[in-house]
Amino acid sequence: MTKTIIRFAHATFGFPGVIALQDISLDIAEGEFVGVIGPNGSGKTTLCRAVLGLMEPMGGSLQIFDCACQELRCHHRARIGYLPQKGTLDRNFPITVLEAVMMGRYGALGLFRRPTGRDREIALDALNNVGMQDHRDSALGGLSGGQQQRVFIARALAQQPEVLLLDEPTTGIDITTQHSVVDLIRRLHQDLKLTILLITHDINMIRPHVDRLVLLKTRLYAAGPPDEVLRPDLLRQVYGKDLVITEKDLVIVEDYHHHR
Amino acid sequence: MVEMLAYEFMQRSLLAAALVGAVCSVIGVFVVLRGLAFVGAGTAHAAFAGVAFAYLVGLPPLPLAVVFGLVTVWITGVMEEQGRMKLDVSIGILYTATMALAILFIGLMKGYNAEVYGYLFGSVLSVTPEELRAILLLSLIVMGVLLAFSKELYFIAFDQEMAEASGVPARRIFYLLLTLVALTVVVSLKTVGAILVFAMILIPASTAYQLTHSLSRMTAYAVTIGVASAVGGVLLSYVWDLPSGPAIVLLATTLFFLSVLLSPKRLRRVTVG
Repeated sequence: MTKTIIRFAHATFGFPGVIALQDISLDIAEGEFVGVIGPNGSGKTTLCRAVLGLMEPMGGSLQIFDCACQELRCHHRARIGYLPQKGTLDRNFPITVLEAVMMGRYGALGLFRRPTGRDREIALDALNNVGMQDHRDSALGGLSGGQQQRVFIARALAQQPEVLLLDEPTTGIDITTQHSVVDLIRRLHQDLKLTILLITHDINMIRPHVDRLVLLKTRLYAAGPPDEVLRPDLLRQVYGKDLVITEKDLVIVEDYHHHR
Repeated sequence: MVEMLAYEFMQRSLLAAALVGAVCSVIGVFVVLRGLAFVGAGTAHAAFAGVAFAYLVGLPPLPLAVVFGLVTVWITGVMEEQGRMKLDVSIGILYTATMALAILFIGLMKGYNAEVYGYLFGSVLSVTPEELRAILLLSLIVMGVLLAFSKELYFIAFDQEMAEASGVPARRIFYLLLTLVALTVVVSLKTVGAILVFAMILIPASTAYQLTHSLSRMTAYAVTIGVASAVGGVLLSYVWDLPSGPAIVLLATTLFFLSVLLSPKRLRRVTVG
């Protein structure tokens, strides 16, 4: 029987005066590839922060690795590799690719322990996994957006995580690179048997790869195989527009009729 | 040139300058990368207010400089963390408020106190053996703590939220950094003075920033530049009879502009330096 790694039980998260996620109940099993979708402001990033143990539930509970999220200690967090939303990186920030990936080891090492040759090997292995081994001494700021995303995925992998949490990994990079990043994530899921929680707006891009989709808009509207979740009635409720699923794409109805 | 090194006061001055140059430039790396440049300025003026208060009430100046510096830097940290206002605004308010306190304390003193002004403008050539021991002790503490927590400090300088998410106790490390900034300022007060200590934190690290794309190399370059500027400045001030604080800072500034001209980052294609 597959073990549940993350369990939301009627969990509510937010800030004073704002409910970002309400009454969420969801189990994520070990080795699952789950895509989280929903419009802007639907609570996707809050879900991310909650899983990282950076937010406490206002109601209900969230268990991660059999531990209440508010009791998550640093060494638990190190078991979750996290790729944040692509921010603006100062191109002149003095850091090499290998130095950035080595940072993935710091949480797992804990305080007062210096990185060893073994940590360097793990970091180099992570770079190898994302195909960036030839860039290890390059300046991070000199890489393209897609290459930087690969480096940050390598940093997450250097933690040797059990869960990989990816917050909009394809945003802000060109279409060809988006496909290569998604292919990389799919390969990591298959080869390393990682549990993957991927937050995205790009439904078409991830639909063929995920085991389940989670549809959010403050509340959890649906969670299941993509075909069950991407129903026009559910999508209309969440996105406020008529959406239709074609063989390959998910398009807004008026555009669909226009182009047909 | 060699005979001046026979004077004990010159030996003390050069050692104090080298220590201050090293400790300021290392902490400066984290200050510059974490975007806390003006925290140094605000803390320096708070520490000077502590010195002025100590002379007013007849207490030893360094402990009160530490207390005033720490309180100010921690308030700055809370304001930054809570995001109630922009960091430059909160530092600006604390910077001017603590300077006003310093002026108030000086105004309440009876007569002119040259020693207080020594802390404002710096007078490395008059460092006493006791002051040198205090500088040495505080420098060793700051450098030791920086070394012990360097990997965490680098991580929060690069991305504090990511560090927290990866299992680094980023918030506590951030406050540790602020505490070390305050201690560094106090270490440097007598040598370069409250007005110029900020420059010693900022300039060597910013010079090193121009020269490399590697964190570890940036730190090594910053220490070299900081020590060279501080020692070189003291020697220039002795040879040409210049005030030591400005000589140190202006030498560091010259190196900074040279680094801007020679920076590999000015090249179109980025290469690792």
